[in-house]
Amino acid sequence: MREFVLSTLSGIASGSVYGLIGLGLVIVYRATDVVNFALASMATTAMLVATTAVGWGWGVLGGLAVAVVVCAAGGVAVREVLIRPLGGGQLFTALVVTMGVALILDDVQLKVWGGQPRTFPALVEGQIHIAGAAIQWQQVLTVAVTAVAMTAVGYLFTRTPLGSAMRATAESHETAQLLGVNPHRIARLAWALGLGLAALGAGLAAPINGVSIGGFQGALFFAFTGIFLGGLTSMAGAVVGGLVVGVLSNWAAAYVSASFRDTVVFAVAVAVLLVRPQGLFGRQTFERV
Amino acid sequence: MKRLFVGTVCAGLALALAACGSSSNASGSGSGEIQIGAWSPLSGPIAPSGTQVTAGAKAAFAEVNDAGGINGRKINYTVMDNAYDAQQTIQVARKLIGSTKVVAIVAADGTAATAASFPYVLQQSKVPILFTYGGAASWYTPPQAGLFGTQTLYEKQAASLATWAVTSGSKNIVVVHDDPQAFVNVANQVVSTAQATDPSVHASLVPVKLNTTDYSPIVAQVKSKSPDAVVLILPVPEAAAYLKQAKLQGVTAQAYGYAPDADPGLLKLAGDAAEGFRTLSLTKLPSDTADPAVAGYVAALKKYAPDQTPSFYSIYSYAAAKAFIQILKGIKGDITPQSISQAVQSATAIDTGLLPPLSFSADKHLGTDQVIRLSVTGGAFTAQGAFTSPTGS
Repeated sequence: MREFVLSTLSGIASGSVYGLIGLGLVIVYRATDVVNFALASMATTAMLVATTAVGWGWGVLGGLAVAVVVCAAGGVAVREVLIRPLGGGQLFTALVVTMGVALILDDVQLKVWGGQPRTFPALVEGQIHIAGAAIQWQQVLTVAVTAVAMTAVGYLFTRTPLGSAMRATAESHETAQLLGVNPHRIARLAWALGLGLAALGAGLAAPINGVSIGGFQGALFFAFTGIFLGGLTSMAGAVVGGLVVGVLSNWAAAYVSASFRDTVVFAVAVAVLLVRPQGLFGRQTFERV
Repeated sequence: MKRLFVGTVCAGLALALAACGSSSNASGSGSGEIQIGAWSPLSGPIAPSGTQVTAGAKAAFAEVNDAGGINGRKINYTVMDNAYDAQQTIQVARKLIGSTKVVAIVAADGTAATAASFPYVLQQSKVPILFTYGGAASWYTPPQAGLFGTQTLYEKQAASLATWAVTSGSKNIVVVHDDPQAFVNVANQVVSTAQATDPSVHASLVPVKLNTTDYSPIVAQVKSKSPDAVVLILPVPEAAAYLKQAKLQGVTAQAYGYAPDADPGLLKLAGDAAEGFRTLSLTKLPSDTADPAVAGYVAALKKYAPDQTPSFYSIYSYAAAKAFIQILKGIKGDITPQSISQAVQSATAIDTGLLPPLSFSADKHLGTDQVIRLSVTGGAFTAQGAFTSPTGS
């Protein structure tokens, strides 16, 4: 029982991080049709800046705020300088550009901060015991923050004019533009929001996993799995998909074999996609022929 | 006709002069610099260790050059970036051997990348590869011409850990290891050595997916087996993740890790969860400056690589370079790839003061199988005795 409780709760915490990162990916994708492979590297860069800020005495919250701002600003910069000049319809080119950004950022991180892993302090210390399993309060906070973030993003997109504009742009750039929506402004906001959420996820995971070059690639990999499982165009699906991946991964490690963790997760994802190709929460689209 | 004859003679003379010139400039003979080279990951994710390995060796060679070189000849050590890529390593090897005309590859970094160079470097060019940071059992069994090592293999490290655990009284050992075959082989060595040392010992394996970050289900599995010793065959981030989770979940079994885990990064990531962790070192501790040899290394690093802090990586390569320098000094006559290989093969007592005593022969191309046992005490690695063999002696 203890093992089940531990695997499940810890999986929910890990899955929350995947969900936040996945949410960031989906927001960027829906607004600009770009799959941002540099997201993990950008979040890592932001966290390294945050560790420097903490070292300067800015505190944990200050460091986290720095990470979110730096990552959001970085996202806007990448979008405006590298993605926007490509023009519309260059999906593959944009994807390759983001891969290049990831590689460049990895080298920059190495040059500026060196290769040794860094620690980032937890927002809350200590642990709670549930059914004999010890869970860190930081993990509980991660789940709570993810829930708040998802609620806030949901409110933004469904209850605010800005959110309506973003949804309109996601449906059709041209139609939204005809209605007076500036697609470039929306794109900048989407990249800022998406990357900010990714930095938040990285900042919540960092006290447990540390901050190292390439350290968040695994989370990005699971985030992608989560958004394919949940639905590539669904924000709720991204978060739920991430949670499912986190829990499944831990159950597989605990009850099948840790070395078959990925196999089990992908097998389940493929099985779901065979039944629902649009994912659990995605919308099936139809084309007139 | 006469012009053609004169032209042909002149061309022939020019060719002969060029050949003489090139042979007199060859680093093997004459009074020129001794050209040696290496490849190292100076960019990419492995660069943090690669730059340290390079720094240590360069410091040793700079030190000997400042002291007058080898019989008056300076060593020119060229290190090129291979980004830990096999194809790039081969290209680097071609440049080092074809253009720079190195007589040996010394203290290169990386097992897989170096192995990719064997067909060109060892077999085709007959240039020796010495004292690589890395290595595999297959490199030395059977011995390969021109290939010599000074780094205790992972399998021997595993055997040392198993002996340590068993002689400390452990009867139930769990080995947590990543799933790639390289880790599996090492983990199996722990099990086999433990059971060979004491047949009453029970040893089992817990495989983990490489790059796992959430160790809670793994620790739960370990806890369910009630071990009194846990051996980690994991890279530093995962070993730290295990130690933190084990402390959180109340797993008190003594934890051991092999030499790659003797890294300041583990202490940083695991924090006080690393207290009491036992691991191994291939060299003396870089922090043990009371030892004259270690103090010499630290001073050399400070002088020739002031941007580097002492580390297990650079102390190893510094010592490997020192071993090579000792061998070079013993060569009478031309310094060529062949004379270097012969000299290494005949070296039976190389003492750098930092590595275990090294001894080579025609059948033994790996100079040592010894390690130093370490324990984390007060947040720092402390040595538990001198160099020991896998049997503990």
